[in-house]
Amino acid sequence: MGDLLGLVLKRLGLGLVTLLVVSILIFFAVELLPGDTAQQILGQGATEETVRALREQLGLDRPMVVRYFDWLSGAIFLDFGVSATSGESVTAAIGPRFANTLFLACYAAVIAVPIAIFLGVLVALFRNTVFDRVANVLTLTSISSPEFFLGYILILYLAVKTSLFPAISSLSADMTFGELLHRTFLPALTLVLVVTAHMMRMTRAAIINLLSSPYIEMARLKGMPPFKVITQHALPNAWAPIINVVALHLAYLITGVVLVEVVFVYPGVGQLLVDAVSKRDFPIVQACCLIFAATFILLNLAADVGTILTNPRLRHPK
Amino acid sequence: MTFALGYYVALIASSCAAAFYEKRSLFMMLFSLTLISFVVGIVGGEGALRFIATSAGLLALAAGVSYAFKEFLVQISRPSLAKELKTAPLTAAFGMFVIFTYAVAGIFAPWIAPYGESEIVTSAFAQRDENLLLGADQLGRDVFSRIVYGARNSVGLALLATCLAVIIGALSGLLAAVKGGWFDNLMGRTADVIMSVPSLIFALLMLSIFGTALWVIVIIVAVIYSPRVFRLTRAVAGNIVVMDYIEAAKLRGEGDWHLIRKEILPNSTAPLIAEFGLEFCFVFLLIAGLSFLGLGIQPPTADWGSMVRENATLISFGDITPLIPAGAIALLTVAVNFVVDWMLFRSSGLKEV
Repeated sequence: MGDLLGLVLKRLGLGLVTLLVVSILIFFAVELLPGDTAQQILGQGATEETVRALREQLGLDRPMVVRYFDWLSGAIFLDFGVSATSGESVTAAIGPRFANTLFLACYAAVIAVPIAIFLGVLVALFRNTVFDRVANVLTLTSISSPEFFLGYILILYLAVKTSLFPAISSLSADMTFGELLHRTFLPALTLVLVVTAHMMRMTRAAIINLLSSPYIEMARLKGMPPFKVITQHALPNAWAPIINVVALHLAYLITGVVLVEVVFVYPGVGQLLVDAVSKRDFPIVQACCLIFAATFILLNLAADVGTILTNPRLRHPK
Repeated sequence: MTFALGYYVALIASSCAAAFYEKRSLFMMLFSLTLISFVVGIVGGEGALRFIATSAGLLALAAGVSYAFKEFLVQISRPSLAKELKTAPLTAAFGMFVIFTYAVAGIFAPWIAPYGESEIVTSAFAQRDENLLLGADQLGRDVFSRIVYGARNSVGLALLATCLAVIIGALSGLLAAVKGGWFDNLMGRTADVIMSVPSLIFALLMLSIFGTALWVIVIIVAVIYSPRVFRLTRAVAGNIVVMDYIEAAKLRGEGDWHLIRKEILPNSTAPLIAEFGLEFCFVFLLIAGLSFLGLGIQPPTADWGSMVRENATLISFGDITPLIPAGAIALLTVAVNFVVDWMLFRSSGLKEV
C-alpha cells in the first residue's frame, strides 16, 4: 500500500506545482500591460494625486512579487480583490454565478455520463456493424460542430418553432427546482450532446482495446459466458479508463460552458469572463481564469488518481 | 396524397429491384427506410413524410457525389495511391469532396462572390431573392458573398495557425527526442503547464492582454495547441531513436539536424499527417469560438464565427441565417474528421481485431 500512497501523493504534489505555475502565468501576464487598476477605475480625467492615493489604498504601489503573493494568499481564501470597472468585490460578483455554472455542468454530467458509458460499451460490443458505423458518423458530427451551432439549432427547433423550452435561461431565486431544470434544459442539452459524443468514442476505444487483450480471449476460449467475461474479467480493468474518460470530459465541460452560456445568456462564470474581457476588467478576468484552470487541473488530477486507485495491478501488489 | 403514393411506389419498386439483383445491404437500407417512413407518415402526416423523403434524398445525393468523387480520384491518381483510395469508406470520400469544395471557394472567392465582402448592397436584414441568395445581414451586406469570403479568411487563418502549431510542436518534439536529458524534461513540463489550462480560457486571457491583431491570434492559438503535436512527435520519435540505424547514423558522426531530417522524420510522417488534420479541427473550432465571442477576426472582415454572433438575434424570429455560417464551420470540421478517421484507421493506429 505504501507504494500506492506514494504515487498518489506524488501526483497531488505535481498538480499543486502546476496550479502554482499557472497562477504565476495568469498574474504576471496581466502585469505586462501598461497602466493599472487604479488608473482604470478613475479613468482618463483623474489627477496624478488621486491615482496615487487610490494606488496606495489598493496596495498597488508595492513591488510586483509582493502583490503576487498577496493576490495568491487572497485567492486561497476566495478573496480576489475589487473589480476594475465597478469597484465591487470580485468574490461577490463571481460567487452566485459560479454556483450557476456548477449547476449547469452537473446537470449536463448527470445526463451525459450514464448515457455515454452505456452507449460506448454497447457500440464496443457491436463493433464494425451498421449500428457502430452510424454511431461513429453521428458522434463525429456532434464533436465537430461548434457548441454555438448545436445551441442555435436547439433554440430554433425546441424554443422558437415549438416553444417547448425557453430560449434564454433567465434564473431567479424563487424558482422551484422543476422550473429551474426546465429553464436550463437547452444549455444542458447542448453540453450533453457534445460531451456524450466525446465520452462515447473514448469509452468505445478503451473497451475495444481491453477486449482484444489475450486474457479475455483466454476466458472466452475456456467457455465462459460472454456476460460473465465482461463483468468478471473486463470490468475490473475497464474502470481505470472509464474513470479517466469521465473526469477528462467533466473538465471539458468547464471550457464548453463558456460558449454555451453566451449562446443562452446564462448567468454563469463564462458569461462574466467574456464580459470582463471585453471591458478589460482584469481582476475579474484573472479570478475567472484561475477558477477555470483550478477546476480543470483538479479534475485531471482526479482522473489520474482514480486511474492509480482502480488499477488492480497496483492495488494487489505481488 | 399523390406525393405520398409516388414516394412509396418508388421506394418499394427500388427495394424490389435491389432484392432481385441480390444487393442485400442496399435492400435492407431501402426497405427499412420504407418501414420508417410508413410509421412516421401515419404519426406525423405528410409534412413529416416530406421531411424524411428530403433527408433521405440528400443523404443519397451526398453518397452518390462521394462515390463519384472517389472514383474520379482513383482514376487520376498514381496506381499505388489509387489502391489505397479504393479502400476508402464513403465518409472519407465525402470529406475529401467537401474539403475540395471549400478550397475552391476560398481560392476563387473574388470570382464566385457576387459582391465584395464588406460591401453594403441593400437594407439591413433584406429577404432572400435571386440577387441575394441567402439574404442580407444586419448592415445590408450579402450573406452569400460573406460566406464565400469567409472560406478564405476563417479557413486560411486556421490553416496558418495549424501549420505554425505543427511546426513548433514537431520540431520541439524531435529535438527533445534526439537531445534527451534536461531539454527533454523542460519541454515536457512546459507542455504539461500549457495543456493544464483550458484552451479557450487561455486564449481569452492572452487575447484580452495582447489585443486581437491577426498575427497575435495565430501565434497564441499555435502555442496553445502545439503541446499536443509535441507529445505525439515525442512519443513517435522516442520509439525511433532507440533503433539500430539511428545508432549507426550517430556513430557515422551525423549531427542532430541530419538525424531529424533524414532518419526520424521520414519514419514518422504518417501519424504526423493525421495529427495535422485533427489539430486543424481543434484550431478551427477554437478560432471560430473566439470570433463568436468577438475576440477573433475583427469586422468588417468576413468570418464565420463573427457572422453567427452578428446575426444571432434573427434566430428568435425563426430565421436560419445565423445557422448557415455555423453549419459551414461544422461541415468542414466533420469533413476533416472523416478523412482523419480513415487515415488513422489505415495507419493502423486504431486498427481493431
